[in-house]
Amino acid sequence: MSRSDWRAHDWRLIHAAPQPPLLHMALDEALLDAVGSGRRQPTLRLWEWAAPAVVIGRFQSLRNEVDGDAAQRHGIEVVRRISGGGAMFIEPGNTITYSIYTPLAMVEGLSFQESYALMDSWVLEALRELGIEAWYQPLNDIASNAGKIGGAAQTRRGGALLHHVTMAYDIDAAKMLDVLRIGREKLSDKGTASAAKRVDPLRSQTGLPREVVVERMLATFRRLHGLTDDQLRDHELAQAQALVRDKFGTAAWLADVP
Amino acid sequence: MHGEYKMPGGKLVVVDLALRDGRFEGVRLSGDFFLEPDAALPAINAALEGQPADAGDDALVAAIDAALPAGTTMYGISSAAIVVALRRALHEGAAA
Repeated sequence: MSRSDWRAHDWRLIHAAPQPPLLHMALDEALLDAVGSGRRQPTLRLWEWAAPAVVIGRFQSLRNEVDGDAAQRHGIEVVRRISGGGAMFIEPGNTITYSIYTPLAMVEGLSFQESYALMDSWVLEALRELGIEAWYQPLNDIASNAGKIGGAAQTRRGGALLHHVTMAYDIDAAKMLDVLRIGREKLSDKGTASAAKRVDPLRSQTGLPREVVVERMLATFRRLHGLTDDQLRDHELAQAQALVRDKFGTAAWLADVP
Repeated sequence: MHGEYKMPGGKLVVVDLALRDGRFEGVRLSGDFFLEPDAALPAINAALEGQPADAGDDALVAAIDAALPAGTTMYGISSAAIVVALRRALHEGAAA
């Protein structure tokens, strides 16, 4: 099987109204399976958040990463996603998060670094058009001269690739540091003692409202790769809701790595 | 006991464990690395559980490698990095 090109696919866009954090976790699994089994075309899903959340990576220790008392005090839900990588601190309107679900054929024969670079390429072009020189910084960051802009994570299953990205639009760094336990070892090769300084959000870099940044990003994807507006099917939503009930919403999943 | 290691050019690898009668007990690997399939995580924990505290690094790396499900992929983590984190946990425990 030879590698497929972006243009070989009929890309679909899902950009639904704000949804709760657990449903986002479940939608990633449901839509990855749908694309893997050929029931859905390759899809770009733009997330809108209905509530604040800390999203921890598949293999992160719940206790080591999150100050549970602080999260509760701030009314922040803690959820675990299906991909590896680090914790994300989310407040509605403060991040731009999206998922790409595509057949594995698109990254056939590529190394992990090459597949991150490929999947990030359109958003780097979008940022360039917004006046931000940004690049893919291995292993999984999106960075600019001013600092880290976002991070990506991938997971593969059932013949499909999930590549999802969270970029900081604006950030309450004090609250983030209150809730996330960011250890010294983690910062050892980052060249700064302040985790807050590691992130430079899109708001300060573009001066544009979040909605405009999102619209510009989608326009870039549409121009480069083609993009047809789509929506969640009823059965996809039902499957995701079942996954919230049976998996993502359970204590067993959240504390799977205690 | 708790040990952390950030592999150069890699991700954070964390090992928590206890010692009981000279053997590893309750070994728990965690971190912000990428590992597939995710069943590899409990397989690694099980491979280290009960190993003698005086086992050499090479033996521990071999034990991890032998336990990985077929086709396991690691990104930002390696068997050697897991053993470094484990050693750090033991040192911290010994110093405490």
